[in-house]
Amino acid sequence: MDPTNLQTVGLLIDILAAAILVTAFLVVSSRSLVFYIRLFALQSFFLGAVALLVVLGYGETHILIAAVLTIAIKAIAIPVVLSRVIERIHVRKEVDFSINIPASLLLCGGMVILADSVAHSILGAQRADAPAVSRVLSVSIAMMLIGLFIMTTRKKAITQIVGLLTMENGVFLSGLSITYGMPLIVEVGIFFDILVAVLILGVFIFRINKTFESISIDSLRGLRE
Amino acid sequence: MSAILFALLLGLPVTGTLLCAVFHTRRVLETITVICAGLTFLSALWLVTTVTQSGALNPGQGWLYADGLSAYVAAIVTGSALVVALYSTGYLRRQVRRRHVDGGQLWLYYLLLNAFLFTMMVVLLSNNLGVLWIGSEATTLATAFLVAFYERESSIEAAWKYVIICSVGIALALFGIILTYFSALHVVPASGNALNWSSLMLVAGGLDPGVLKLAFIFVLVGFGTKAGLAPMHTWKPDAYGEAPAPISALMAAGLVNVALYSLIRFYILVNKAVGGSFAPTLFIIFGLVSMGVAVPFILIQRDFKRLLAYSSVEHVGIIVFALGLGTPLAYFGALLHLLNNAIAKTLLFLTASNVRMAYNSKIMRKVTGAIKVIPVSATFLIAGVFAITGWPPFGVFVSEFAIVSAGFAGGNVVPTVFFIGFIAAIFAGFIYYTSRMVFGEPHPGVKGGDAVTLSLLLLGLLLTALLVLGVFVPPPLQQCIETALTVLKG
Amino acid sequence: MSGAPAIVILSLLQLLLLLASAPLISGIIAKTKARFQHRQGAGILQPYFDLAKLLRKEVLVSPVASWVFRSTPYLVFASTLVIALLVPTVVVPVPLDWVGDIITVIYLFALGRFFVALAGLDTGSAFGGLGASREMSIASIIEPAMMLAIFTAAVTAGSTNLSVIVATLSSTPASMLNPAHLLAFSGLFIVTMAETGRVPVDNPDTHLELTMIHEAMILEYSGRYLAFIEWSSQMKLAIFLALLSNMFFPLGMATTLAPWALCVGCAAFFAKVIVLAAIVAVVESTNAKLRLFRVPELLMVAFILSLLALILYFIVGA
Repeated sequence: MDPTNLQTVGLLIDILAAAILVTAFLVVSSRSLVFYIRLFALQSFFLGAVALLVVLGYGETHILIAAVLTIAIKAIAIPVVLSRVIERIHVRKEVDFSINIPASLLLCGGMVILADSVAHSILGAQRADAPAVSRVLSVSIAMMLIGLFIMTTRKKAITQIVGLLTMENGVFLSGLSITYGMPLIVEVGIFFDILVAVLILGVFIFRINKTFESISIDSLRGLRE
Repeated sequence: MSAILFALLLGLPVTGTLLCAVFHTRRVLETITVICAGLTFLSALWLVTTVTQSGALNPGQGWLYADGLSAYVAAIVTGSALVVALYSTGYLRRQVRRRHVDGGQLWLYYLLLNAFLFTMMVVLLSNNLGVLWIGSEATTLATAFLVAFYERESSIEAAWKYVIICSVGIALALFGIILTYFSALHVVPASGNALNWSSLMLVAGGLDPGVLKLAFIFVLVGFGTKAGLAPMHTWKPDAYGEAPAPISALMAAGLVNVALYSLIRFYILVNKAVGGSFAPTLFIIFGLVSMGVAVPFILIQRDFKRLLAYSSVEHVGIIVFALGLGTPLAYFGALLHLLNNAIAKTLLFLTASNVRMAYNSKIMRKVTGAIKVIPVSATFLIAGVFAITGWPPFGVFVSEFAIVSAGFAGGNVVPTVFFIGFIAAIFAGFIYYTSRMVFGEPHPGVKGGDAVTLSLLLLGLLLTALLVLGVFVPPPLQQCIETALTVLKG
Repeated sequence: MSGAPAIVILSLLQLLLLLASAPLISGIIAKTKARFQHRQGAGILQPYFDLAKLLRKEVLVSPVASWVFRSTPYLVFASTLVIALLVPTVVVPVPLDWVGDIITVIYLFALGRFFVALAGLDTGSAFGGLGASREMSIASIIEPAMMLAIFTAAVTAGSTNLSVIVATLSSTPASMLNPAHLLAFSGLFIVTMAETGRVPVDNPDTHLELTMIHEAMILEYSGRYLAFIEWSSQMKLAIFLALLSNMFFPLGMATTLAPWALCVGCAAFFAKVIVLAAIVAVVESTNAKLRLFRVPELLMVAFILSLLALILYFIVGA
């Protein structure tokens, strides 16, 4: 791959990574369940695009299947499943928080800074040669933190799934950035694990809704001690 | 020859799952499960002898790997699975008779039980850390519906928390694995091997210590969540409390050991690559914290199965603490404790199930005078409690004593004193509740009725094993543990 | 570019350009919104006619109003004219860039807003006070977001001088697509929507008590006062669009005084501004106005986007 092409690919990956981070922030800033799922689909689509760029730009063909799977499963299949779940259970489509939006956004901004320092400590001296890698790694760690944040501060069961999937996206992106993806079978196995996990959690949401008449996490407080 | 072993150990549970998917009659399901579990257990024993004699197995330098440690843990896990499978037959028959469970649920139970065993074997036998991860997440998924088996409000809540918390933990572990892979890519010649534990051990000196330390922290949190190490243990009481008792037993004896196995693999790698006291100190801290966290919850507990879950947290803490001490004696204690804990937990969970079925309640306050209602199970109960809290002449005492000696010998006096303190406090709590349950007068209107003879025989067998282990360690076992020990030392 | 005559002529030209094109831009936005709503809408030249009409009409002033009310329209107009002299439109470097930098621009806008708010209070009408208080609370949240977005652009250039910012960026075209830049652009875009009183922050076409912010403050104005205030608002929008396009995508700007370069610069300016105006119209048409207490959330998003831009910039340093 000649250098200018590589540079373009690098630039595109850069922009996509920033876009992915922005979608994560938009999830934090939103109250609408439907919007969450759409943002997640967009985020996964960008992620698949990054993977495809890595395939094209760096010739790591073994991620091609992972890229296709990302788009097929995470950008299409899982959002469809989650939307169906929401439609079927007739819940209020607004999400309640334990931390309000401006404060959440500030905290997530802080997390990006934290993620950056973690990325620095990982890459160490190599950071200087590949600034793009450092940036993408920071974005991926930030997504893991933001996913965790979403899971703990938003009170609907579906948002916990979205948060978990955001975390997984972050982990996948980190794999792409520093290792150009793991061996094919491992990536495929990871995907199927995630898909099955979402399906199981979807079934659970139906049952939670049936027994609790809502899918607010507040009602999942019965078990103590 | 090694290929056959691996094929058996992995193939038998798969066959069991597939066959269970096809057949739906109770008898057939029971037979399939028991036979598959039994054959897997025998294969595991065969693996143990092979590895003890010929060293580690790694066909074609590929993704399958078994050394002393894998074999030892595999034997424990498959053994527990066999006991649980046998017990489940009687258990489910009773439940069906009482109309708590229907045919469809029965089928699901056996199907998932076989799948569960398969996923655990995947973790134990894989060389590739990525496949190890896949197997770990798969164990969570396989047990999800088992925890939610009874479809009560509390069960679904427990299952939800279980899947979410474990998946979060495991996602963090995946990041740790990616970091490990990253540090290895520069050093290992073929990138396909950079995720293989055996290859990593060979080049451990060349791995970046900083990256590996960070990776270890993520892996510790991640697999620690699966094992139930505090403070990531919050799913355990709920999940163990709500799942059917045999499943809780298998989770406490099997899943815990599998998660600990994954932790230990990374521990060995990080010790070799980083050296010093980074990983051991973390282990000691997390171990003591787990034990400490378990104490208050045991003392104010109302539900017996949750009590056992916190005991599981405590014992995971004990094992991790012992591993952190780092001396051969401590390692020996830890490894022996894996076995003792598994047996004792299985015994207690299954006995608790008998008690619960007789009294129709999990709440300890409501259970009194068990010695009069179900004498056999009550004896097992009180004996099991003495065993789990570390009294002689039971096996747990031996392993805990070894750990304490190792602690004092290695100069870790303060942590070891905490260790003893926690164990004492937990013993007090356990004895208080159990003696109330066993002695005294039973409430009027208690149905009673103990488990079938087969189940009682099983429990008696477990108790005997604990007694034997409390007196001496049989030479074959000693040899097996020592093979695992050499692996631990790196 | 040297020589006092050149500077004076260029500055006047720039001023006239913005003065003349501002109503046109508002007209384009209104027309686009109308088409979105399946209406024909007024022509794009309608704002000119409106301004002409207003200038001819009689001025009615509340008896309790003071000199503040009477002087505000001129003050606001004057400050907007000054800003128009300072922003990069067609040529770079901006002829009068030594007079003020980006911070001066921000404060001049604040000055105008301050006086309009005072004028709203001055008439003693309830609507005026209502509008003024809402406007000020929103302004207090807009300011940090705007500052941060602009600082990001300034930090990458190493100076708050607008010409330097534009020049630095146009010398390395690839950095226009830098993610930090795109994020800062998005942040500033949201700030623009808020600062110029567009949906989803404020509806410029409404006069319902529940929903007015900017309109409420100027409700009492009539005749030529209203003309100047309207014109100033239109110019404010034009200036913001000019800032957005030239601070982040300074393509086609004239660097010499050659007539051909100036024509290209003009054309480029109009092209960029019209594209942005269309985007503004689309955003206005596809979003509902936010409830007042949700506006801080939106502006916090803008703030965070700019913060992210700054962080990403420092991560990479490029």
